[in-house]
Amino acid sequence: MSIVDLDPVIHAPKRLAAMAVLAASTSTDFPFLRAHLGVSDSDLSKQMSALERSGYVEVAKTGRGRGAVTRYRITREGTAAFRRHVAALEAIVAAGRSHADPVGQPVR
Amino acid sequence: MESDRTPRDPLAAAERAGAAPYVDYPPTPWWYFPAAGAWAASMVVAIGQAGERPGLTVGLVLVLVAAEVAFIGWYRRYRGTMPSFSGVPAEVARAMGGFAVGAVVVVAVVVAATVWAGVLAGAALAFVGVTAGLVAYERRYEAAARATRERLA
Repeated sequence: MSIVDLDPVIHAPKRLAAMAVLAASTSTDFPFLRAHLGVSDSDLSKQMSALERSGYVEVAKTGRGRGAVTRYRITREGTAAFRRHVAALEAIVAAGRSHADPVGQPVR
Repeated sequence: MESDRTPRDPLAAAERAGAAPYVDYPPTPWWYFPAAGAWAASMVVAIGQAGERPGLTVGLVLVLVAAEVAFIGWYRRYRGTMPSFSGVPAEVARAMGGFAVGAVVVVAVVVAATVWAGVLAGAALAFVGVTAGLVAYERRYEAAARATRERLA
């Protein structure tokens, strides 16, 4: 795992946070994501559309008008991409620790 | 212009976000605990009728399962998310482990009471045990969620 394994779609902070929420849930609705990410409706829609276009999330809309609910679910591809991305970040952090140590020993 | 952002920052942000479905939730309504106790007691009564009135048992169990499915659907909408049991924060995992042990104990006590003292005694114990057990679990879960939020803040 290295920097080349970082996923440019997921690397954006808001999309990374959204993917982390979805990876830990069976499904999550629009208001929960908006509150957790601290973004506007339009910004969240834009971020989630990017993830949906990449095949990383699926969207389901139910109801109409004020009772309408938009729910998101991470796909199998999305889960794999998220895990790869996090593993790449962890590898970069680990490599950074090794370089920071003057005698080249892993930091315990 | 240099950025102060290091690879640790997105990892920490991902961990915080991944914990959100477990630790960011609205208050559990007061009626949930006695309702769950009543559901468990009704299940004991339903199963207790299996020998004499199997048709009644099947009907009651179907109604109770339908009620449970309806409740889960409502709760998912109320909460806005539903944890997938993937990447459970350590604090919350410990609380869930305690819940599993408590559930086994309550089931064992209810089964024993039903066998030795009858269906009504089992149902009464199921109501008390499930209601009290869920209240205790709620408190333990709240503490675990608070500890997780503080660790990741």
